[in-house]
Amino acid sequence: MELPPQSGSIGAEALKHIAPGSSISVAYHSSFGPYEDLLFLELDEKLLPDVLNERVVLRGQPDEDAVLCTQSKTYAMKFVGTSNSVLLVPPANHSEYYENQLKNDSNSDEEKVVAPVLKVVSGNMELIETAPRLDKLKSLLSEKPYKLEEDDMGNLEENQESRIGLYNWNDLVDNIQASDEELLSGLQALSALEIYGYWRLVDGSYMDMILGMILKNAVLNDWSLNALNEDEVVSTLESDGFPGVLARHCLNVYGNRVNECMPSFVWKLDEKRVCIHFARDILKGGKRKLESFMDEWRQKIPDGMQPTFDLVEGEVLTEKIGVETWVHAFSVASLPSTPAERFSILFRERPKWEWKDLQPYIRDLKLPGLSSEGLLLKYTRRTQPSADAEPVFSAR
Amino acid sequence: MQIRVRCNCGEGNCEEWGVIELQGVVEPQPGFHDSLPNLQIGTLCRPSSQEVYTFTVGYHELTGSKVPLKKPMVVLKKVKHPDGESGCKVELQVVGVIRHKILFKNRPKALISKPQITSRERQKPIMLGSSPSNQTA
Repeated sequence: MELPPQSGSIGAEALKHIAPGSSISVAYHSSFGPYEDLLFLELDEKLLPDVLNERVVLRGQPDEDAVLCTQSKTYAMKFVGTSNSVLLVPPANHSEYYENQLKNDSNSDEEKVVAPVLKVVSGNMELIETAPRLDKLKSLLSEKPYKLEEDDMGNLEENQESRIGLYNWNDLVDNIQASDEELLSGLQALSALEIYGYWRLVDGSYMDMILGMILKNAVLNDWSLNALNEDEVVSTLESDGFPGVLARHCLNVYGNRVNECMPSFVWKLDEKRVCIHFARDILKGGKRKLESFMDEWRQKIPDGMQPTFDLVEGEVLTEKIGVETWVHAFSVASLPSTPAERFSILFRERPKWEWKDLQPYIRDLKLPGLSSEGLLLKYTRRTQPSADAEPVFSAR
Repeated sequence: MQIRVRCNCGEGNCEEWGVIELQGVVEPQPGFHDSLPNLQIGTLCRPSSQEVYTFTVGYHELTGSKVPLKKPMVVLKKVKHPDGESGCKVELQVVGVIRHKILFKNRPKALISKPQITSRERQKPIMLGSSPSNQTA
């Protein structure tokens, strides 16, 4: 015995609840059309709550492929077309797509059960987790580093012209394709600082000056570099004419807090970061003979710190010219963060790399779904002359 | 620039949209190309309690089943709001979610017997408008 069809049911509900032994009509919707304003986004079940609770945003400039950002991750969006016919049926009570049901004259007492097709879907977007695009962050903030001369200018909001090259948080999220958490991490990695509401990099020579003042005052006041009292450092540098916020920033960049309790924070200067700073300073003028570099380096660094070459891995490279070993600056921080560009520059710098030299320059490359071994396999050619020899990597 | 994703559904109450997926293209007869709204496409039957369906379109019959999507799909609608003096801000509004589809994987079979064709004739598109049920004016 065939059951009577459900009366009055139209839309997606009809599709969902077809009773056994019954049938429904499938017809074009009264508003059938292309509906270019509808987008179909396929996503993992675990991302669905983020979307439904409005924790998701699309980011990108008109000339960039859009990315989807949750609070902590970034996803590339990729259109996947289908050659099948995908007929889309909206729910019955969706007011926007409510159908003017035509009564069937011969069955005026009974409404037809209809699934109306609103649109034929040509494809959908899918999400692929991707690394945030933070190289642009560095180039934006590098447009106008914070310099010594700016200390006297005061608040910039009064002068709109001075705003060129400055970016507040909203400017950054409008321009950088990264989640909020990734953007904050990127700012931290660059040692960026928020000054008068704008995120800034501090000019290198100015930073050098501030660190120099801290070290000089440490000698004068017999401060221990392992236990710098923040309030004391800040007030001393302020009396020397430096802004307190920059003194604190300098402690943050070159030191680590050793206590978390009040009344005052205590900082210990980080040997690696301080030594790297002076190594960079020495090599600013170009390559140096290794012995000469080491001598000058030992002279420049504060007493009690030991300069060893492993401290500057990922910052300097050596090369043999004749019988001499020379050293020059080559900082991983200056390299692009996309693997293809990174490896291209590495192999331009040096066609062949031993693993111990290469490792510091690719350690920071992080791509979802690709391990370190995967990176090497994809972007390098590995050569090993004999079983006991160290492998050598070159361009693929 | 940023495009926010908005959702006005209550907690977990997004309306579910339906999808019927079939191979090939549903093509109306020439006379009906400009009058698709409300045009009947076919009849969808569920013969038994199994999630198996037949879809009759004209003289073609397809057999398929209801399958969950590997991942849910969100239906988003682009919405423009006035923003400032001359600009407009685009948002994406969640209007529904799709979790299942009725999938017809195989080629349709003809309901009316035909002479056996020996040549490898390409599958013809399903022609609408020839079904008797559509003849009511």
